[in-house]
Amino acid sequence: MSTLGVVFGAEFVRRMRSRAYIAGSVIGALSIIALTVLPTVLTSVMSGSSRRIVLAGPPALTAAARQALRADYEVTAVVPPFTGTATSAYLDAHRKASALVTIAAERKGLRVDAYVRDPSLVRESLSRDLGHLQLAMALGVPPSRVVADTTVHVDVHDISGRFANPNAADAAKGVAYLFVILLYLAILLNAQAIMTSVAEEKTSRIAELLVAMLDPTQLLAAKILAAAATSFIQLAIWLVVGLGSGRVVAALAPQMATAGSAASSATLLGNVDVAPVEIIALIAFFIVGFAQYGVLYAAAASLINRTEDLGSVAGPLVVPVAFAFVLAIVGLGVPNSPAVVATSMIPLLSPFVMFTRIATSAVPAWQVALSFALDVGAALLFAWLAGKIYRVGLLLYGRPPSLRQVIATLRS
Amino acid sequence: MGTLLLSGIARSFGDVAAVRDVSFSVPAGTTFGLLGPNGAGKTTTMRMILGILIPDRGKVTWDGAPIDLATRRRFGYLPEERGLYGKLKVREHIAYFGRLHGVAPPNDERRADAWIERLGLGEYASRPCAELSKGNQQKVQVACAALHGPELLVLDEPFSGLDPVNAETLLHALRELRDAGTTLILSSHQMWQIEDLCESFCVIADGTVRASGTLEQLRASWPTRIVEVEPPSPRLREVFDAMPEARALPNADRPVLAYEVPASADSAALLRRLVAANDVTRFERVEPSLRDIYLRAIGAAA
Repeated sequence: MSTLGVVFGAEFVRRMRSRAYIAGSVIGALSIIALTVLPTVLTSVMSGSSRRIVLAGPPALTAAARQALRADYEVTAVVPPFTGTATSAYLDAHRKASALVTIAAERKGLRVDAYVRDPSLVRESLSRDLGHLQLAMALGVPPSRVVADTTVHVDVHDISGRFANPNAADAAKGVAYLFVILLYLAILLNAQAIMTSVAEEKTSRIAELLVAMLDPTQLLAAKILAAAATSFIQLAIWLVVGLGSGRVVAALAPQMATAGSAASSATLLGNVDVAPVEIIALIAFFIVGFAQYGVLYAAAASLINRTEDLGSVAGPLVVPVAFAFVLAIVGLGVPNSPAVVATSMIPLLSPFVMFTRIATSAVPAWQVALSFALDVGAALLFAWLAGKIYRVGLLLYGRPPSLRQVIATLRS
Repeated sequence: MGTLLLSGIARSFGDVAAVRDVSFSVPAGTTFGLLGPNGAGKTTTMRMILGILIPDRGKVTWDGAPIDLATRRRFGYLPEERGLYGKLKVREHIAYFGRLHGVAPPNDERRADAWIERLGLGEYASRPCAELSKGNQQKVQVACAALHGPELLVLDEPFSGLDPVNAETLLHALRELRDAGTTLILSSHQMWQIEDLCESFCVIADGTVRASGTLEQLRASWPTRIVEVEPPSPRLREVFDAMPEARALPNADRPVLAYEVPASADSAALLRRLVAANDVTRFERVEPSLRDIYLRAIGAAA
């Protein structure tokens, strides 16, 4: 086995066994389950009662209103015109309804009064649905006719030819957003692990032994590959847990009025229109992006003398990651603007920005190839420089080397 | 097995010249002692041998060729500053370094077990390295450096921090390695251990070689000898005082006359003159020890 393989294997096993990794994976998975399930369940529980209303008014009017409100509300009772004031006890007596809605026909149109437990829960849909009813009454046509006549279907045609249908464009944005988030998380979550590993070897003086038999660049490469592998496993677990819990929610709660969040996620995924070659490109940019930042973090860690000092060198390196993240999110709206195209060619930024461009627009193949080539070249250059810095840094104890010292050593 | 050759190597750190000009050769299968005061340049020299540092000037060769990464993997190194992965268990740690040196599984673990046995680490084999005492951690590192049967083993202060029993265990292990053909280079301030183990020596001070060779060669180049005579009678003292090149040495704690005389002085003629002057109960021509040679070489002799 090559030394690269030996170091990779040892680093991989060490990381997988570490309590921090195991705890992070479990907590992350539980958080994803909570984030997927809780909103749906809470919304369902909360909206279950908020959808229930009691209708009061003349029978002909309440019958028409019941029809108009059918899509958004469950009418638990229809009562004669209401003259008093609704109390909570009154609403509780009608299957814990959230509101009493009284309707009366006046000369100008409908008069609607809603007596609610929580005014913030009065929905716009109440006004919209009853607006349809008011218009229907004025025109003397059925409310369903009004709904049909006020709905305009717009056909969107993508002249770039990138997407088969408009839903696919939304799905592609979702994919780009997902990759940007995953890369951002992978870098930030693993930066600390990579830096700690390098710093521990330096402060415990093991690095001197390793450099006696290994090329520093290979050593760092093995460490970063191991971090990447463990990171991918962690992300894969979270992805599976996220999709699984979404499906479970969708399967177990078909009756829930707002189980739609999971259902809409499934619909979104079903609309993903990204070709396999583009998926490969996204993964390739993910790996090269991770590698670029990984070697920078490793090089920085080799300059410190105490693990407590990691924060001081890690802080400045968060800036380009955060900047690239923001650029990618902004780029989702304007993937072909000159600024976004330009930044998709700049190493450290381009892995993030290219996610946006590849997923949401038709990027010329030469631009993808050029950006990737620049990224690979930069990653190799960073790795070579990091190896040099590592070699300089590991034998400098007592105080961090000055920039002048590092440059002088790199020149030598 | 090759010969290690250092030719005029030098290395500076900024304005500080750690090694100015060091040359020596270590024949295959021999044991070589690198001596010098703190800051003399021993560790920097060792690091240049192992490729951790690149010389500013001069060259280091093994078997006539520059030392590349593949060759370095066949070497072993015990640095002065000890370092272990604290969370790794002793057996795993030793086996890992075996693999780094090219020992493929399952031999890595077999050899790790053999070294654990040899160095008396059996009861600690399944414990994390961080839980071991300093001495036992040092033995783990020795095993890491020697597991693969290195062609060249470089040990920087291998005996520091070891109690006498563990030091003897280490000496025994190093002798076994030497007998198996490993070339050993070690630095130590424990003169008796290094004198006992090594066949040739190099004394470095201020980044330059002050003396080198076998103990016999070093002694041959020593300009004086010490002669001790009993009893310390005035008549015997007069014989020495009549020799212009003889120098009396302070010897307050023993009833003996001690004089430093030229190495070329005729001992037999001196003894005859002493016997003619007075009864002599003891006459001893003392060869200089490695410590004497070392102290004189670094310029700290009395």
